[in-house]
Amino acid sequence: MNAIETVGLTKYYGHRSGLVGSLLKRVRASTSPPIRALESLDIAVREGEVFGFLGPNGSGKSTTIRLLLGFLHPTAGRGRVLGLDTTRDSVPIRRRVGYLPSGIALYDTLTGEQLLDYLGELSGRPASRRAELCERLELSAHTLKRLVRDYSRGMRQKVGIVQALQHDPELAILDEPTEGLDPLMQRAFYEILDTLKAAGRTIFFSSHVLSEVERVCDRVAIVREGRLVALEETAGLLARRKRNIMMRFTGPPPRLEDVSGITNVEHGDGYVTCRVEGSVRPFLAAIADAAVVDLTIEPARLEEAFLEFYDEAKST
Amino acid sequence: MNGAILRHVWRLQRTKLAIVSTALIIWGFLLPVIYARFGSQFTALVESGLFPEQFARVGGGDVFSLAGSIALGFIHPIGIILTSVFAVGFSASAVAGERQRGTLEVALARPISRRVLYLSLLAASFGFIAICIAALLAGSVSGATFAGVVKELAFRNLPLLWLNSVLLFGALAAIALAASVSFDRLTPALGLTLGIVIAMYVLEVLGSLWPAAEVLQPYSLFHYLKAKAILTGFAAPFDVVVLSSVILLAMVWALVVFPRRDLAAPS
Repeated sequence: MNAIETVGLTKYYGHRSGLVGSLLKRVRASTSPPIRALESLDIAVREGEVFGFLGPNGSGKSTTIRLLLGFLHPTAGRGRVLGLDTTRDSVPIRRRVGYLPSGIALYDTLTGEQLLDYLGELSGRPASRRAELCERLELSAHTLKRLVRDYSRGMRQKVGIVQALQHDPELAILDEPTEGLDPLMQRAFYEILDTLKAAGRTIFFSSHVLSEVERVCDRVAIVREGRLVALEETAGLLARRKRNIMMRFTGPPPRLEDVSGITNVEHGDGYVTCRVEGSVRPFLAAIADAAVVDLTIEPARLEEAFLEFYDEAKST
Repeated sequence: MNGAILRHVWRLQRTKLAIVSTALIIWGFLLPVIYARFGSQFTALVESGLFPEQFARVGGGDVFSLAGSIALGFIHPIGIILTSVFAVGFSASAVAGERQRGTLEVALARPISRRVLYLSLLAASFGFIAICIAALLAGSVSGATFAGVVKELAFRNLPLLWLNSVLLFGALAAIALAASVSFDRLTPALGLTLGIVIAMYVLEVLGSLWPAAEVLQPYSLFHYLKAKAILTGFAAPFDVVVLSSVILLAMVWALVVFPRRDLAAPS
């Protein structure tokens, strides 16, 4: 069973249904057309995987998450979380899900401990992971006795992570989870994700920090302007992406223009740059007889793959 | 209803509730004392024709009797403003304020339906109002005792006055909460509710000062709390029916609208 499944999930803001809604729609139609926040999204997140959900600001990431949690009602299509319908069964879904919103807002007049107790009580499940999470994120008992309004941004984010995961949810939906965390705490957070994954939990991870998605996610979906641009294994995406190559040589340069997978060939004074997509074997065969003195192949970065997808989607 | 939400709201509001209740006790205490000390002088002033009697009988309250002075405590702007801290302020901000701050989605990410959240907040509002009205009555009884006029008070009528007052301010709270679940920001929810409350208060006071405007009074919810009549044994069950109906209507609105609303990301 998929942990998350959406079929044609669509959300327009400003779209209204019902009698009053239809009347309002007619009145407003001439001045403000509906905003297409999400357009026919089809994704399936497998149980036990860490799924990255990537996209620039305003691409529909938060709208998707809010649809999954029942905060928004879909204009068309449907979503299922842990086998339950997002519209009809949003309360049972939220019983089994942990959610960290982007830029989480907390009750400032409570202490960290009171806040976690309150949210834990609302969850209706024991906070079985709280002690472990607090220890890993270095949230001491003394810190948790302080008022939330005295916390730094990083501390708030740590409390946000604890409240989302303390009841050991089957599915964690994390929107920009490392926002405000220092590198050490980011590493601690990645270790928490590894532990959750080893325990068979599913993690839906929304971010625009591509390097962390590359580090922790099994698969990645990329959305742009409310549409799904790509959905693949992170490893496959990285393997498929073009690598930048620069080589120095003595003597005549090798002919690369007609080699399979090679593009953007540029000749300079004693060097050649190009891009390789897919297998490097044809490229290695092509330069076998050249007097290469130096060769640099830049490692595949998800960021570039993302930008390529972004550019391709833009041009189509 | 959800016990965790009720305990949470209580924890956040208890200091404010203590302050408002203390202020209401003091306010309730003062009016019977004023009646005992200056009631006869006020009566003489009115009888002398120096100022119209209507000015001494605003909103069904007066300073010529203990029942009238206690009633004045309920309908006077000071009493209304103090009680409205919870009836209007708390209720209007309960959902819209949390939505604006972004804390609502943290709570609603738990297995809590919007209807349960709404009913819990409504119950909390009614609880706070019940305590405030009890404080006002306690202050009035204390003042009457202090001034030595408590024997003029029929204690058996106090529970009905408490109930009718709770229903009046409960109706305002239900309207405020209905507005709160209908807006994403606090300002329109609070503005709309305050507008309704002020307009209704003006209608009631206008009707009590100007006989030609009496026809407007039934359009004011304040018209359905006749504190002096209750204290003198002339309660009108219709008032309770009207106020209960308004509460029910506001609840139906909120219970229909809130679950169907889209809660987009807080801006």
